[in-house]
Amino acid sequence: MVLAALASFAVLLVAWIVAPGESRRPDIHDEPASQPLAVAAWPRA
Amino acid sequence: MPTIDAGDTAWVLMSIALVMLMTPGLALFYGGLVRRKNVLSTIMHSFFILGLVSVTWVLWGYTLAFGPDTGLGIIGGLDWLALEGVGASPSDVYATTVPHLAFAAFQGMFAIITPALITGAFAERKRFKAFVLFAVAWSTLVYAPVAHWVWSPDGWLVGLGVLDFAGGTVVHLSSGVAALVAALYIGRRSGLTEASTEPHDVPMTVLGAGLLWFGWFGFNAGSALGANGLAATAVVTTNTAAGMAAITWVTLSWLHRGTPSVLGAAVGAVAGLVAVTPAAGFVTPAAAVLIGLAAGAVCYGAAQLRLRSRIDDALDVFAVHGVGGALGAVATGVFATTAVNAAGLDGLLAGNPGQVGAQIVGIVAVGAYSAMATGTLLFAINLVTPIRVEDVSEEAGLDLAQHGEIAYQP
Repeated sequence: MVLAALASFAVLLVAWIVAPGESRRPDIHDEPASQPLAVAAWPRA
Repeated sequence: MPTIDAGDTAWVLMSIALVMLMTPGLALFYGGLVRRKNVLSTIMHSFFILGLVSVTWVLWGYTLAFGPDTGLGIIGGLDWLALEGVGASPSDVYATTVPHLAFAAFQGMFAIITPALITGAFAERKRFKAFVLFAVAWSTLVYAPVAHWVWSPDGWLVGLGVLDFAGGTVVHLSSGVAALVAALYIGRRSGLTEASTEPHDVPMTVLGAGLLWFGWFGFNAGSALGANGLAATAVVTTNTAAGMAAITWVTLSWLHRGTPSVLGAAVGAVAGLVAVTPAAGFVTPAAAVLIGLAAGAVCYGAAQLRLRSRIDDALDVFAVHGVGGALGAVATGVFATTAVNAAGLDGLLAGNPGQVGAQIVGIVAVGAYSAMATGTLLFAINLVTPIRVEDVSEEAGLDLAQHGEIAYQP
């Protein structure tokens, strides 16, 4: 049972290694402007 | 023959749930701090680790950290692989009034949140695949041995008299130093400006900080491993230090920047919780006030220094957890007293100046090992898959590029 449990994790580990590194080629959208209130409340020196 | 105490067991089981909640709390804490295009990927780091380390801890993490020592005080043996031999009866060594399984599960929650803390350093630019491999390797090769050094009765730092009640060095210093190394290794985010790094959702971060504060009662008071006076002490010292650090951080930001920052209250509370963690069961409530004061001031200063540097530790993991953890470890050496915990040791103010030296040895050993091992792991994983996402993905945001999802509909 212990070996089966270890083996099941090993299968997932192999899957993570061979899985795609990028899910898909993204379409780029502009990031909306930062929260004005946050900027006003926590100005950087 | 150890026997189960119902009250102790109930408290430890409850503490497991409290500490478990800290990791989703951390996900919200970090999630609010990043830009809206990266909130899901940031939350995913913590949530995936919750699943991942839950499994690795059972399979091999617990036995490496707490299994019978292999001889040098460095690592546990494989006696308890997949928790074989860890049952409903108490251990002869750990938490002798609660089921051994409950102790193992409680410790597992610490193993989960520690690598999750590191993720704040490489937020917004780390490839998910590389993150998964890093989390498996780091929790196995860094967390497990360090926990053995400090918390196994045969650990070599235990033999030197290092005190760490709930994880100042094991959890916070190790993850904070790893975060610094990771931030240096992976490099700065592209196109950083002051405005582009403003938190996208401060309420989310405050909610996360609240959940962390709540769960920290299990983290620290649960580490008493019993429903007793020591747990009550840890509750009070934990809450006091958190409160003091929060109001200190807010005051400093108010004087420094002209406004009492809400975000500062949240981050300051976490800094206080970090610093009191190694001390919670060894010091008085009055000492906790001083620890909170020091944590608020020193961690605030560290965060300001980081802002002026070129180091893009995106969510200030080192300033809060690395510096806070080290500060708390030293403070434990100063303020610890056997009047609070007869099973502990006296510190500097109780007539044992050597305890400060022991604490510094612990800080140096854990920090150096975490730094070297983290750097090595990142280098090795980078050979398997690039650590960093492509520029176009970083620009688009990791939510879309790495997970094919977005948090907020346009």
